[in-house]
Amino acid sequence: MHMEKSTDLRKQARSAFIRSSAFQRLILIAVLVLLYGFFYLASPSFRKYTTLVQICSNMYYTLLMAIGVTFPLITGGNDLSMGTGLICYSLIGSYLMRIYGWPLWAAILITIGMGVAMGAVNGFGVAKLDIPPFIMTLASMMFCRGMGSILTGGFSGTWPDGAEPGAEFRNVFRLIVKTDTGRMPVPLGMIWMILLVIIMSLVLNKTRVGRYTIAIGSNKEALKLSGVNVLKWHIFAYMICGLFTGFAAVTYAATFSNITPGQGAGFELNAIGAAIIGGTAMTGGSGSVFGTFLGVLLISLLQVGLPFIGLNADWQLLITGGILLGAVTIDKMRNGK
Amino acid sequence: MKKLVALVLALVMVLGLTAAFADDYHFEIVSKGFQSTYWQAVLKGATEEVEKINAEGKDKITMNFVGPDSESDVAQQVQQFTSALNAAPAAIGFAAVDQNAFNDLLKEALEKKIPIIGFDSGVPGAPEGAVYANASTNNYVAGTVAAEGMWEKIVARIEAAPGTVRIGEVNQDATGESVTQRGLGFIDKIIELAAAKGWKVAVIGNEFYVNGVKGEKAAEADAKIIIEAKVPAQSTVELCANEASVLLNEDDLISVFGSNQVAAEGVVAADKNLFKCGTGDDTVIAVGFDSGATLKAAIREGVMYGAVTQSPVGIGKVTIDLLLASAKGEPVADTDTGCAFYTLENIDTPEIADNLYD
Repeated sequence: MHMEKSTDLRKQARSAFIRSSAFQRLILIAVLVLLYGFFYLASPSFRKYTTLVQICSNMYYTLLMAIGVTFPLITGGNDLSMGTGLICYSLIGSYLMRIYGWPLWAAILITIGMGVAMGAVNGFGVAKLDIPPFIMTLASMMFCRGMGSILTGGFSGTWPDGAEPGAEFRNVFRLIVKTDTGRMPVPLGMIWMILLVIIMSLVLNKTRVGRYTIAIGSNKEALKLSGVNVLKWHIFAYMICGLFTGFAAVTYAATFSNITPGQGAGFELNAIGAAIIGGTAMTGGSGSVFGTFLGVLLISLLQVGLPFIGLNADWQLLITGGILLGAVTIDKMRNGK
Repeated sequence: MKKLVALVLALVMVLGLTAAFADDYHFEIVSKGFQSTYWQAVLKGATEEVEKINAEGKDKITMNFVGPDSESDVAQQVQQFTSALNAAPAAIGFAAVDQNAFNDLLKEALEKKIPIIGFDSGVPGAPEGAVYANASTNNYVAGTVAAEGMWEKIVARIEAAPGTVRIGEVNQDATGESVTQRGLGFIDKIIELAAAKGWKVAVIGNEFYVNGVKGEKAAEADAKIIIEAKVPAQSTVELCANEASVLLNEDDLISVFGSNQVAAEGVVAADKNLFKCGTGDDTVIAVGFDSGATLKAAIREGVMYGAVTQSPVGIGKVTIDLLLASAKGEPVADTDTGCAFYTLENIDTPEIADNLYD
């Protein structure tokens, strides 16, 4: 009798763990390790330190968008305007610098500010006007796509690069250290990213912003009835996404310098996919910033690693699609469907 | 009397109207996009020529210059070309992103007797008589010019190398005429130059380029030089950079060719983490195509050895001239707008500098 009871308890604890999102993240970590190991064994060139640097620098702007979109996703919403928004804001930032002679710090502030403003607009449309998030952010996606081109007359923009004054802002993301054998890049940006993941994880789990975001996603009515200003916090979730899109815009400019109008549509799909792979439910109510980080790591590993074994980016899309489907299936199974 | 005056006035008005419409031409120009500042230079050349012709007073031209968001957006360009046809212009300038997607639309233009002037990569494989003339660089020749410019710098290293050496090529696609012709021209020329030295060349990588090469290919095991051609899934700088990284990570790589501005910028972006490219004997010799702020800076800093420039402003100008002539029913002929290899040594000379842009 006593033995049966303790076995029951252990079974219960085990199935509770399997149903938890922590288990999903554990699977993700295992997949990451296996995949890295596979590329390591399959390609000698992959094994270099510089490949790790490349995986890092490839993921910065996607990770920032993914951290941002985790919040609207948890409220049961979405944000499709991140990709074209990123391009639009950095285009306008470069335009202000090149044509109007604005200093770098002002352009960076405006770029980020535009992201926050668009986030507020998205949030207002979804929370106050009750427009479905998919439609609202689809509309702002098209708006950003057009606006960037119109304001710059269809021309591409460049942010400071190389030896130009102001180009030092790129060192925030990557430091070049002189060693005995030459130069070694240090992915400084990764440190900032990990810090941001920790901060936003705490925001999501330990602050009012985070708890209300989760509550809006799991039971908005109950939250409203308990007297909380749901409108404010709902809009705030979208503004967080907008803020991070602004960060992503600056990061993209730091990595690629040349911004072309009309690009960007589709960037957000990697970010949204990563968040879902990382355990954020599309129906809302739960999510994890750390899980999102793992999801982006996986996508970046695929993007960088597949060319090393001779498979081009078509395969990366195929495999990422498969993993996304797998993640959603595990999520459904977890929740006892 | 009043009736007569009214009739005369009406007649004058009508005559005046027809005079106003007499020399008006509207052209639709569908380019491959605004993806690089190259296309903006083409637009600049076209705009300047339109302004110049309008200022002369004899003909009045209006132009609508459009392009898809990226050079892999075939569907979008098909839509834009359809709109251009529906606008019933005097003539259409066209640079196709895909050589095979426009046959029906081109037949329609032929039936409607709307002249088509190809520019840049033009419209190879178009139905007979649809395209009246082309204003472009001979892209195959441009690829050979890149190969010759690179060869001068690397031939001594190949001689001194104990084993095989690798030459990389990053092509943004395997569908557009300009990129494919440059890619193939480059590989064919390397094979020719190597054969003169008695060296065998193997070609590996993307199937289109491997199979399209005209020169004689050897097996990898027998070759002194291996040429590896890479093509990303979409024509963006980020994906070209990933392909370039794979090449730059190979220890036997001595040089790499980016066959258009996007691919060359991808090489530069990839090198930012790897520091392999340069102009010294132990570095990877990178050769690019076209210009733009990123490539010009890379050449000035010694990261990129050199590049081939076309004359995009010239292409824009010649396209407008050909459009006007074909709209008037005058005979038109293909015009080669030329290309040149430039390095740090000649980047500031007038012949080169006038064709470079940001």
